Amino acid sequence: MFETYIKDYNEAVMEIDKEAALEVVENALANGVIPEDIVFKIVMPAVEDMMEHVLNDLDTNLAQHFMTAQIAAEITEKMLQKFTQPPEVIGRVIIGTVFGDLHSLGKRIVMGCLKSMMVDVIDLGVNVTAEEFVNAAIEQNAQVIAVSSMMMHTATGEEGSLAVRELLKQKGLESKIKLVVGGSPYRYDNELYTQVGADSWAPDGISAAKIICDLIQEVKQS
Amino acid sequence: MTPLEILVASITGQPAPRVPVFCNFLDYGPRELNMSPKEYFSRGEYMAEGQLKLLKRYGHDNAWSMSYVGIEAEILGCQEILFPKKGPPNVKDFVIKSWDDIAKLEIPADISQHPHWQTTADCLALLSDEIGSTNPICGYASSSNTLPILLMGMEKWMELVLSGPADIRDELMRKCSDFCQQQIKALRLAGAHVILYATSFGSPYFIPKKMISDWAMPWMQQDLKEGGSGIVYYCGGAPMAAAVDQAIEQLGVGVYYISPLDNLSEAKDIINTRAVTCGVIDDIKMVKWTPEQTRAEVKRLIEIGKPGGHFLFGSSLMPLELPEENIQAMIQAAFEFGSN
Repeated sequence: MFETYIKDYNEAVMEIDKEAALEVVENALANGVIPEDIVFKIVMPAVEDMMEHVLNDLDTNLAQHFMTAQIAAEITEKMLQKFTQPPEVIGRVIIGTVFGDLHSLGKRIVMGCLKSMMVDVIDLGVNVTAEEFVNAAIEQNAQVIAVSSMMMHTATGEEGSLAVRELLKQKGLESKIKLVVGGSPYRYDNELYTQVGADSWAPDGISAAKIICDLIQEVKQS
Repeated sequence: MTPLEILVASITGQPAPRVPVFCNFLDYGPRELNMSPKEYFSRGEYMAEGQLKLLKRYGHDNAWSMSYVGIEAEILGCQEILFPKKGPPNVKDFVIKSWDDIAKLEIPADISQHPHWQTTADCLALLSDEIGSTNPICGYASSSNTLPILLMGMEKWMELVLSGPADIRDELMRKCSDFCQQQIKALRLAGAHVILYATSFGSPYFIPKKMISDWAMPWMQQDLKEGGSGIVYYCGGAPMAAAVDQAIEQLGVGVYYISPLDNLSEAKDIINTRAVTCGVIDDIKMVKWTPEQTRAEVKRLIEIGKPGGHFLFGSSLMPLELPEENIQAMIQAAFEFGSN
């Protein structure tokens, strides 16, 4: 029976059918599946499954990424309230869209995935300055700053990731706080992230969540 | 042959001395006239002067009548545009802040009478006078599936499309399609030869192919019900090859501005002689290339696309960070390798 829930949930997510995905979860709960298993055995593996699809260049699209993340975040949030013990948070991320840029879709996909993977995400919104990113990361004891840019001039501009890198350097925080970037310009030039001083980049919101989790582990182990 | 005749020949499959060379110098006008973007885009005269100077400087084929995409949102009530020092202006104030605002959204009865349309109209009038009989003049129109991004943001629009009430979504599509049809008509009447039809959700990068067929395609047919003449299918730089076959069959659009992320060879095979394939250079990578690398990439694209005709060489969005020598190398190489 449990395998059926997994299969039905995965199908609903791939079909970008939010109602069907929520129905699977409701049925599972009604039939005695505990909230912890909903999150760790159904929702999180579905996000990881989508990551595999993306990594292996299988046929996926932005709508599927968006819905996978949104459904995962929504269910995880609901289930967490029902957990018998609060789950262990694996790390904390400061996320935002760079100064001068008002795009927010990619950021939202990343956030949805991260929440379902037990990462604490603090969203600074759009049009965020380098100082705001770094100050928030220090105050919140975050391991990663994730900077989204959808336009070339905001990706490479002096008030964006380059300024975040400079501040981290000035404050001696480069080993304690990692910088990851994402957004359209990086998809066209896969080496652009080095030019803007980032430690890593991701071509889409789904992969970004995995890269951020890896960077959190890297900081924790250093 | 004039550049305009060369373009027409490439569309109709007639012999031409070379392939058309299109450059999207959308953000270069302010620099050319030594003005801020805000000042430059405030008057059609400045935009026309900037485009004519760029045409003279680089010798490419086309001129643009477009200011910035946010102008569409301004016609529909947007109160604030963000003008960066470098790069394209973008919408700061979304007209639709909640789904309730969709019912209140009003499409002007005639957008060509709207004050915000005037810069485009003035620019087109001047360009038509100066180069209308020799060079292709381009305009821009967001499709019914793309205009909502400017009105409510991609995130909220995606949410409405994928999990919102269908009646509210369709009400917005109806209004945006009305606007799109009006804009295409107004651009044609004012002298635009080529209209870049931006259809993000016409790309399988954004939504599944089935959703393109079932939902986006009927609305695109509505947008283009007056015909596909002069229309260029453009997915905002996202890959489109997998959707092109259906677009050719159902929309009658004759030109496909494919993504640098598409496989040009594959796209050309699909499109073949049924329409024109635009081989588009990755001008984000070009920022870091040498002139020799730029030249080699232009040669590669033209060698793939030129055989069999029905081909056009084009730039992508041309960021301002492009080195001058690379722009020159790109255009020279396009003329050299594109010549017959």
